[in-house]
Amino acid sequence: MFRRSERACQAARQVQVRVDGVTMSVPDTLSVAAAVLQVHGWQGYRRHHDGSSRAPLCLMGVCHECLITIDGQPNRQGCLVPVAEGMHIERQGGERHD
Amino acid sequence: MTELRRADVAIVGAGPAGMAAAVRLAEAGLRPVVFDLNATPGGQVYRQLGDPQVDAVVMGEDYLRGRTLVETFTRADIDYRPLSRVWWLGRESTGYALGVITQQGAQSWHVDRLILASGAMERGWPFSGWQLPGVMTAGAAQILLKQGALVPCTSAVLAGSGPLLYLLAWQYLRAGQPPALVLDLAPESGYRALLRQPLNAWRGRGYLLKGLRMVAALRRAGIPVLQGVDGLQAEGENAVERVRYRHRGSWKTLPASLLLTHFGVVPEPQLARSLNLPHGWETGQQSFLPSRSETLAADERLWIAGDGGGIGGALNAEREGCLAALDVLASLDIETPDALGWERQALQHARHRDLEARRLLETLFRLPVDWLDLQPEDTLICRCESVSRGEVEHAIAQGAAGPNQLKAFTRCGMGPCQGRQCGESIARLLARRTSQPLDTIGYYHIRPPVHSVTLGELASQQDT
Ligand code: FES
Repeated sequence: MFRRSERACQAARQVQVRVDGVTMSVPDTLSVAAAVLQVHGWQGYRRHHDGSSRAPLCLMGVCHECLITIDGQPNRQGCLVPVAEGMHIERQGGERHD
Repeated sequence: MTELRRADVAIVGAGPAGMAAAVRLAEAGLRPVVFDLNATPGGQVYRQLGDPQVDAVVMGEDYLRGRTLVETFTRADIDYRPLSRVWWLGRESTGYALGVITQQGAQSWHVDRLILASGAMERGWPFSGWQLPGVMTAGAAQILLKQGALVPCTSAVLAGSGPLLYLLAWQYLRAGQPPALVLDLAPESGYRALLRQPLNAWRGRGYLLKGLRMVAALRRAGIPVLQGVDGLQAEGENAVERVRYRHRGSWKTLPASLLLTHFGVVPEPQLARSLNLPHGWETGQQSFLPSRSETLAADERLWIAGDGGGIGGALNAEREGCLAALDVLASLDIETPDALGWERQALQHARHRDLEARRLLETLFRLPVDWLDLQPEDTLICRCESVSRGEVEHAIAQGAAGPNQLKAFTRCGMGPCQGRQCGESIARLLARRTSQPLDTIGYYHIRPPVHSVTLGELASQQDT
């Protein structure tokens, strides 16, 4: 998991998002992938079509390991979508999404 | 019917090169359209600098250096379109056609002139276990730091080759989360080679001093920094549990849950490749680069500026953005070539001086050419389609003669990343197995869409 460093230069403005049905507050500057890494870490992020566990690698739109369901749409690139108030995020850790 | 939008000049990317190009064009009275993947300007290097989450104490002065550029870009009269994916490009007689997915939906554009400033990406560099959750790139770690001041809750292991590795270690130290261990995989021969090139060492002394200072700070803080590491593996069931590394001939194992790696950066290739632009293998950068003229033009209506054309760093990217903009202006007869001459000369001079200084980094952080040969057979080369080195080698032995045939044989490069992670490895393996130069081997044919695009997004054509 990741945490906000005590050396952050300002208090973060927060938005409320639902991750796998649970409401949480995350800084509004984060991408969906970054928010999930902060609250849940890399474990359980996504199941690949070969059955292996995967999680974001690059966070810059290259690797496509961050695929995630956002507001009901599966396989969105979580690192390219900023979090927004009321957003529903579901990790694709269980069944296959191919 | 969808409306066809028009602009004199489009720029893809709002990193230092794209921002500088846009600012210079705006100064001359043009209003370029700038498409960028991110929500805020800055690219990777100056990400979130318009509303920084961490300051220079943690990030170092180089991050803050981009502030003026971001501010000028934000204030200038530029048609800036964040969160936009340029998913196809087409060459036309009067310019370029662009397909773009924006927040407002799908759009079609025609532009007279185009500047590609789509930057660099972390080099895909396979090792055993690199697909496990808990392996991330150093670039990704820096993005978390810039985007939300996020540091890991655990002490990470940092491994790889290149200045970014030490920079991240130093930033984590400053941010109150020092790494457990730094594994430097740059071959020690690089340091010996440097001694034989005193001129390059002198030209690159700025980089050298900065690096030495960071290593000294890490050592003072008691962080072990191991040089001469030549093997790396991540192990675990569903995530990283252990990191194994080979140091001075023997393998060591360390319990760890987060491994951050860096093997240099290379141009993000998709848009230039999708246009079938000629590329050549550059041995210094160990990478394919698109061919450009001295004025950074790739054809009469296309320019490639910044790290997308060859790795030169943020300051160089800013200069190249300006240079491309100046050539665009000259081609439009907006400012006469004479008036632009001095500006252009000064920029070119600084650019060449900078690129010469970078030779030092290229010498020091050369990646071993036999790396892939030394990885276990089941190491994934293509992560998307889970194709191992063994399968690729088998297909080559069966007669797959080039990257595109290999793709047909094994599905490598056919997943959602479209070969961004495996393209270089595939070319390297083919070159070694068939004893041909990398320029003969070439690269995958890249076809649009160069970003993942859903049918729903394409159907969402909007006229606003
Ligand atoms: S994490 Fe690599 S594309 Fe999102």
